[in-house]
Amino acid sequence: MNHLKRCVGVVRRDVLRIGGLSALGIGLGDFFRLRRAAAAETSPVAKAKSCILIWLDGGPSHLETFDPKPDAPREVRGPLDSIATGIAGVRLGECLQRTATIMDKMAIVRSMTSPLGEHNFGTHYLMTGYKPSPALEYPTFGATLAHERERTGVLPPHVAVPEFSRNVSGNGFLPRGTEPFSVGGNPERPDFKVRDLDFYRGLDLDRLDRRRRIVNALDAFARSRDASALSQSDPDLEQAYDLIASPSAKAAFDLSDEPASVRNRYGRSGGNGIGQSCLLARRLVERGVPFVTVNSAGWDTHQNIIQLKQRYAGDRNAHLPSLDRAYSALIQDLDERGLLGETLVVVMGEFGRTPKINSGGGRDHWPNVFSVALAGGGVKGGQIIGSSDPLGELPHDQPVTPSDLAATIYTLLGIDPSHELHTGDGRPVRVAADGARIVAQLFG
Amino acid sequence: MKTLLSALALVVGFAAAGVAEEASSRRVDFRNDLIPMFTKNGCNAGACHGAAIGRGGFKLSLYGGDPASDYEAIVRQRQGRRIHLLDPAGSLIYRKPAEYVQHGGGAVFEDQSESARLLLRWIEQGASPVSRRELVDVAITPAKHVSRSLDEPIALRAVAHYADGSTRDVTRWTIFKAEDASAVAVDPASATTRVLRPGRHIVIARYLNTVVPIELVVPLAESTIDLADEAQSNFIDQRVLESLAALGLSPSPVCDDATYLRRVSLDLTGRLPSPQQVRDFLDDDRADKRRVLVDRLLEGEAFQQYWTLQLAKLLRISPPQGDQQAAQAYHRWVADQVKRDASYRQLARTLILASGDTHVVGPANFYRTTTGPREQAEFVSELFMGSRLRCANCHNHPLDRWTQDDYHGLAAVFAKVEQGETVRPKPDGQTIHPRTLEPAAERIPGEFFLADSATDGRQQFADWLTDPANPYFAKAIVNRLWQRMMGRGLVEPVDDFRDTNPATHPVLLDQLAEDFIQHGYRLRRTLRLIANSTTYARSANATAENKDDDRFYSHALRRPLEAEVLADAISDVLGVADRYGDQPVGTRAVTLVSPATASPALDILGRCDRSGACESSSRSAGGLPQKLHLFNGDLLNARIAAEGGRLERLRLEGKRSMEVIQAFYLAALSRPPTNREREHWQTQLNGLGSHHARQAFLEDFVWGLLTCEEFVTNH
Repeated sequence: MNHLKRCVGVVRRDVLRIGGLSALGIGLGDFFRLRRAAAAETSPVAKAKSCILIWLDGGPSHLETFDPKPDAPREVRGPLDSIATGIAGVRLGECLQRTATIMDKMAIVRSMTSPLGEHNFGTHYLMTGYKPSPALEYPTFGATLAHERERTGVLPPHVAVPEFSRNVSGNGFLPRGTEPFSVGGNPERPDFKVRDLDFYRGLDLDRLDRRRRIVNALDAFARSRDASALSQSDPDLEQAYDLIASPSAKAAFDLSDEPASVRNRYGRSGGNGIGQSCLLARRLVERGVPFVTVNSAGWDTHQNIIQLKQRYAGDRNAHLPSLDRAYSALIQDLDERGLLGETLVVVMGEFGRTPKINSGGGRDHWPNVFSVALAGGGVKGGQIIGSSDPLGELPHDQPVTPSDLAATIYTLLGIDPSHELHTGDGRPVRVAADGARIVAQLFG
Repeated sequence: MKTLLSALALVVGFAAAGVAEEASSRRVDFRNDLIPMFTKNGCNAGACHGAAIGRGGFKLSLYGGDPASDYEAIVRQRQGRRIHLLDPAGSLIYRKPAEYVQHGGGAVFEDQSESARLLLRWIEQGASPVSRRELVDVAITPAKHVSRSLDEPIALRAVAHYADGSTRDVTRWTIFKAEDASAVAVDPASATTRVLRPGRHIVIARYLNTVVPIELVVPLAESTIDLADEAQSNFIDQRVLESLAALGLSPSPVCDDATYLRRVSLDLTGRLPSPQQVRDFLDDDRADKRRVLVDRLLEGEAFQQYWTLQLAKLLRISPPQGDQQAAQAYHRWVADQVKRDASYRQLARTLILASGDTHVVGPANFYRTTTGPREQAEFVSELFMGSRLRCANCHNHPLDRWTQDDYHGLAAVFAKVEQGETVRPKPDGQTIHPRTLEPAAERIPGEFFLADSATDGRQQFADWLTDPANPYFAKAIVNRLWQRMMGRGLVEPVDDFRDTNPATHPVLLDQLAEDFIQHGYRLRRTLRLIANSTTYARSANATAENKDDDRFYSHALRRPLEAEVLADAISDVLGVADRYGDQPVGTRAVTLVSPATASPALDILGRCDRSGACESSSRSAGGLPQKLHLFNGDLLNARIAAEGGRLERLRLEGKRSMEVIQAFYLAALSRPPTNREREHWQTQLNGLGSHHARQAFLEDFVWGLLTCEEFVTNH
């Protein structure tokens, strides 16, 4: 059945329906709300060509980032302060000073909610829009995009900087070719190189070309005997060779190509390389890579939440200031280059943190309510969507599930959430979970 | 205004009810009429109200598997608002699907439709739960249909048989669905189907709880072929040739000796034959040398190592919570079973009944494979029954016989086992049935509940499972052995046996299982039978006639080498060992106990981590990172020209370049190069002036050899 068609629903017996609804005690207001939701689900809003996911691995505290509670008791408020932003009445955690100046470009969903407070489960739910199931591992956004978008250029369509989360496979049930390509290494280091892009010692492009041709010759001999053999050469081998052979594609990974001022703007250290990783992500989307995951580990703050701000006197490179620098630089840089409109940037982790500070001065896992920040790619900036209750414990209004968020992200990227993918054994699975509701308010 | 419109709705509703008058004499039966109507309209499908949590606050059992709860949901829930006895057309159960009110599923049926009339008539008659007839069987015809040509319409029919001896044509309410919609078209309105692509296809018919496969065959060749003169070694060939003849598929010829040697060595021992073994085998002129070879391989240590790995993967042996000692004990026990060619029946019984300290009693680790009784039930059903009981966790299996009672009943059996470092009986262990929210009753799946007083659930399960008459046990393992040897299970996926996923060669599967049982459940017996068949020995090179066949064994299937086998093969060809964690140098990858042993090579080559079934993991070797690594990484580059390696040894022996190439052909591909290949490489060599240039070329050649398809596959 075509779910999309059902949702648009050439609204049959509209007039009658209004009467019926009233008879059932559902008011007209509700009816129009339903209609709007139905309409939003199908309106063409896709402006984003690419997406950068800044993944704060471990679960970032919503209270120290996008949803501070300055009026809450001290044990909830935590040791850090909050600051005003460019939007009246909207405050952010005190470390997000630069981010506060670009609130006009950002939308924050403060009413994210999930039942899954374990890292693997939470990661799977947030990155795929599906709760994990023992029967099936679902594909992450990047894999779906790699699968659905036509391949252009030499660069892989799904890249992770520096590594992908170990909590999910990435491609799920989709073919292995859609899994994220992890660049590896540490982008902060001066000698940062992407693994296996540079020649092994003693080898050069001529040798690699000859090796490739030897493989093709051997394959051609073997295939000439088999009527069922493919005639083309191994596509992965060709892609690997093309990538190695293309100076411009390889240059995409070369951060030393950036002026020092730009590199400094993103931040040269801290947050597990988040600054230079974001810069690399910008270089990749600039060259047409549809999906880049920037992975920043170390947000699982069970102890001393204050260390997100500084770990020792004079520390400028703790996780929060590093995130602030990297994120604000990325948004502004994309904007200055005219790329923000077509690049969706999402900041999130697998869940939030417990509202009450624990005995170790940290916060534990808290999926019941947390925040996600979105910018660019057709997102209407300068708004807060939903809210948490005064103690940051539960959604106060407009609860948004990771499934809803996934359907929204896919829609922004021009992929119909009801589109069906197929598992290895042919079972059809929707891109976004059945029943997921798009957060229409995000669309600009 | 509102009142007026509501009244209008009622008028329309009454009009609809009026149309149904002509058939109103017959009583609408909830179980036998109404539920099939819901099923036919998709109301109780998994994507709608059949979902485990229902949809929009209304939950029906999946495909009507639980009529009592469906009745409850329709008639009693929401204070009975779904049914309006005085005003049937005002019932929510009618107004929603007819879309008089907002319905998430849109308009499901029209007012005048048969579905609508049936529903209204049932409410008019009092919305009774009573069923007058008890369904005993649904006869679907045809069960099998062979057409000579494509596009020929085939009429499908379903007749319900009731306990009182009456019958009724229920074609109208039966769902027919093609397994592969690109191969078979089904027209629901006329209940006809047409085959669009030659071959053997399955259409599934569903009426109420009954699912029946219909087999449709259109031969791949225009005229029938006669395969009577084809060589036959044993019953395997007889069965395979019968199906090839029916499909008009002519088989590829038997492969040459070198190909057979490489194939059977890889399948039985996970190793390439050495160059000396290749030469000896090619020089051997005994007529029965292939049989002699199979016997020799089955007796060797390499067979024990490799098939211990196969069982370790099947049993998902991995250090539980990092407990290496436990995994070692388990692995040792399995290795001993393989060495002794122990009965697989006894092996299964020992595992199911095991208790004790897992560091000492290897098989007790069977209960440390999973983390709970439900997971254990899923694992055991997939392993020993080749069945996916897991679908029945949340609902009765939609395509199979398994019910939630079966799933939670088997879990209840395993709940009486304490899964820890010491495995011991836990008499008060229980698991909660999600439907009743009470402790689930122990049950032999598909059979019977155990007595409340039973204390020997595992014993009863083991007895039932390993009884020679058990329909799953022997078939599940011989099908896996067949898959390992042939590249595809007779039932595929190998852990998804069900009536609606029939074997490609059902009689062959029966015979293999029967033979296995009669010969004491010995793995070697079945492996020998397969290895000695002509079917196994066919060339992997397809012909123009059979190139589209991927399941009837007209030609051998090319299979990627497992990561462990490939890693060992690379080391063997290069003559340079790899390192695995802190294991001694020279340790072979196939002998590693833990799938987490540190090894960049195995990571790059894509090993199975055994957290789930290795057979179903998407093990498509390759991918961009692997190929980048082959070009620029250590795996090959660090060892091709290494000191003491094959290439360096040949150079030191003063071999000419062409001799080096031939030596590597023998080592990697287990065959000498063909004349054409030799000429090709000679031409390449002729263009190279210096000794240095030739060395570089040979390194490149070895790299290419270890990367090409012929090397990285078994064929």
